[in-house]
Amino acid sequence: MGEVILTMKGIDKSFPGVHALDHVDLEVRKGEVHALMGENGAGKSTLMKVLTGIYSKDSGTITYEGREVEFHNPREAQEAGIVIVHQELNMMNHLTVAQNIFIGREFMKGKLIDDAKMNAEANKLFQQLGIDINPAEKMGNLTVGKQQMCEIAKAISHEAKVIIFDEPSAALTEAEIEELFKIIRDLRAKQLGIVYISHRMDEIKVITDRVTVMRDGGYVGTLITEQCTKDDIINMMVGRVIYEDPKTASTVPPGAPVVLKVEHLNAGKMVKDVSFELHKGEILGFSGLMGAGRTETARALFGADPKESGDIYINGTKVDIKSPQDAVKHGIGYLSEDRKRYGIVVGKTVAENSTMAHLKDFLSGVFIDKKKENDVTQKYVDRLKTKTPSVDQLVVNLSGGNQQKVVLAKWLVRNCDILIFDEPTRGIDVGAKSEIYHLMNELAAEGKSIIMISSEMTEILRMSDRIVVMCEGRKTAEIDIAEATQENIMHAATLR
Amino acid sequence: MENFKNLPIVKKLGFNRIILVLVLIAMYFVFSLGSGRMLGKGDLMNALNMVDYLGFLALGVTFVIATGGIDFSIGPVMVCAGLIAGRLLVTFGWPLALALVMCVVVGGLFGVLNGILVAYMGLPSFISSMASMMLAKGVGSVFTHVQNSNWPKTGDPNSWYKYFVNYNGFPTGLVFLLVVAIICAIIMNKTQIGRYILCIGSNREAVRLSGVDTRKWEALAYVICGLLAGIAAITYVGVITQVQPGLGDEFNNNAIASCVMGGTSMAGGVASIGGTIIGVFIISLLRVGIQAMGFRPDYQYIITGIIVALAVFADIRSSARKK
Repeated sequence: MGEVILTMKGIDKSFPGVHALDHVDLEVRKGEVHALMGENGAGKSTLMKVLTGIYSKDSGTITYEGREVEFHNPREAQEAGIVIVHQELNMMNHLTVAQNIFIGREFMKGKLIDDAKMNAEANKLFQQLGIDINPAEKMGNLTVGKQQMCEIAKAISHEAKVIIFDEPSAALTEAEIEELFKIIRDLRAKQLGIVYISHRMDEIKVITDRVTVMRDGGYVGTLITEQCTKDDIINMMVGRVIYEDPKTASTVPPGAPVVLKVEHLNAGKMVKDVSFELHKGEILGFSGLMGAGRTETARALFGADPKESGDIYINGTKVDIKSPQDAVKHGIGYLSEDRKRYGIVVGKTVAENSTMAHLKDFLSGVFIDKKKENDVTQKYVDRLKTKTPSVDQLVVNLSGGNQQKVVLAKWLVRNCDILIFDEPTRGIDVGAKSEIYHLMNELAAEGKSIIMISSEMTEILRMSDRIVVMCEGRKTAEIDIAEATQENIMHAATLR
Repeated sequence: MENFKNLPIVKKLGFNRIILVLVLIAMYFVFSLGSGRMLGKGDLMNALNMVDYLGFLALGVTFVIATGGIDFSIGPVMVCAGLIAGRLLVTFGWPLALALVMCVVVGGLFGVLNGILVAYMGLPSFISSMASMMLAKGVGSVFTHVQNSNWPKTGDPNSWYKYFVNYNGFPTGLVFLLVVAIICAIIMNKTQIGRYILCIGSNREAVRLSGVDTRKWEALAYVICGLLAGIAAITYVGVITQVQPGLGDEFNNNAIASCVMGGTSMAGGVASIGGTIIGVFIISLLRVGIQAMGFRPDYQYIITGIIVALAVFADIRSSARKK
């Protein structure tokens, strides 16, 4: 490790209602790979966005190459030599590799673009990195791994001195990861400073020199990787916070029948051989880090996305679910993590949204029985304590928590027995949160069965009777609430 | 202004619709002034002739636009239906009643085609309706060997189909249109079809994830649109008697313009049948008024073009403000 190239000190950033960064420190040296770790929402991405000028900081200082700096946009940061290699690659698939690398600063021959020169320059970069890619190839024809190397080449071409890798290995195969590590070691040898964001504990041990851990927007500490264990890092990530009233034992009566059984479900890249059972009256928590494949599992189960294989049994009978229509017919309701896109029709009223899944029950002849629709909706507005001036209010005018209740009403009107709550309290304020929890418990007590996907440890420990932990598309653990701890959940979530 | 907007009567009728009616009345006086005479019964009957067939087209496309789609085939489909039914009537000696039913059948079939292409096969409605537009033009021309279809003239035996437009000087066409418009308004606002069409236009994915067969309901919008283009063909032949192959494009534009002007959002999810009808009146009066002022009819295109651009701009502005 060489001298310090980048220091972020006391970085503070608030968004309305959220203290996203609370005096965070980060120091990167030349020739080091520095891991930045933390649970979902710990503030890693926000910190990097502050660094590269996407967000402005409220207070704190950034010192880069001995001078205090403040970048106003990613371009300024890039010009100074700080570049992010994003998890989601920002590449134009129809352009060639070289055209992508030099986008916005094309070599010109008079008024025309000089593709030959760009190809030659790109080749030089690839030679430097020791990788074999044809610069004239269309970007879309490359594997994700190769595309990422192009992104790295692009960073080098900007004469980067600090490169931030944001979960670079998430989409890569073992062999590609090996190649990536080779390049990263090479860059380290060339005295670049590297920030490496990842959830994969094993990689951290292999590739990084130091680890900075963040939790809930705060700075926890920095360790030298060689001198710490995986458990040290996990303990720092989860902290010693006492979460409010965690469930201590399952409230499901022993011998409760299995209402839903999923066997060997495979769908796309994110759902690999997932099997589980859901009992009557149970809240089954699905825990895991971002990208663990929980939402994808739910969507495949619900028929929203196609599945490759796997059997689904409802009340012991094998069912064929090819579309949400089939799922709803079998009494499954899905409350999406992205309410505005997948849950509600914002331009329509509370009543129209509430009856959407079961409109045929509100017909008299060919006409919609408006009175019945309003009466039933009102019943659920009262029962769920939805705050709305009337059932004719447009849903767009309701708060997040109340929108969530409208989605819930939709499934209750349809009388669904299996409810999938995907991040049920995301974007919902504290008061409404406990109301939603209360409702979920009530529904479970009534005999509804609930799958709850959540990235919040508190929520998982407070609500679940049993916990399924996923990591990279696979189920890595199934833990009864009586045995669940933050540590054993986090361990299973980072198993890879 | 805000007070005016919040009056119960204004809310019930819709602020935009009131403005449109005022625009319509203002247009009448502007044209009267510009042509140096009050537009009389002749001019207005002239305008009504256009209202008759344009109205049905515009009503139909309102359903499609409500889903967030578009249909550029309605004009040529109407002409195609008039051509085919006319030849069946005149050359093949079909009974008049059957020929009229055939108009609606042809329209309906094109609606089914568009519905399958868009809802079930996932083609963008813009492209698929272009394709069916060309198909309609081609089929009409081929079937008639590129000859005009000459429907019976007024006074001929078998000319009772003209009563759909005009009965001894009484504008039956207007009554016919208004009755169908009321039915359309009921379908749009009071039935499952209308509810799902509007919801699909607003947020298709959320509707699909509610377990609704979105493809079926979306396809139905195109079928309704096609059927109404078929009905439009009945009034169209009633007005013009001689149907020429290869025409129809300009009716698309006028119908879509009427819709958008009437407050139906191009983004989908919001539709006003009443607004569409007022829009049809405006477009039709525009055409007659411009002629009365002594301009060549081509000027109507320019003015309609400008109006459409302005109406869509206003639509985008108002939806941007809501967000």
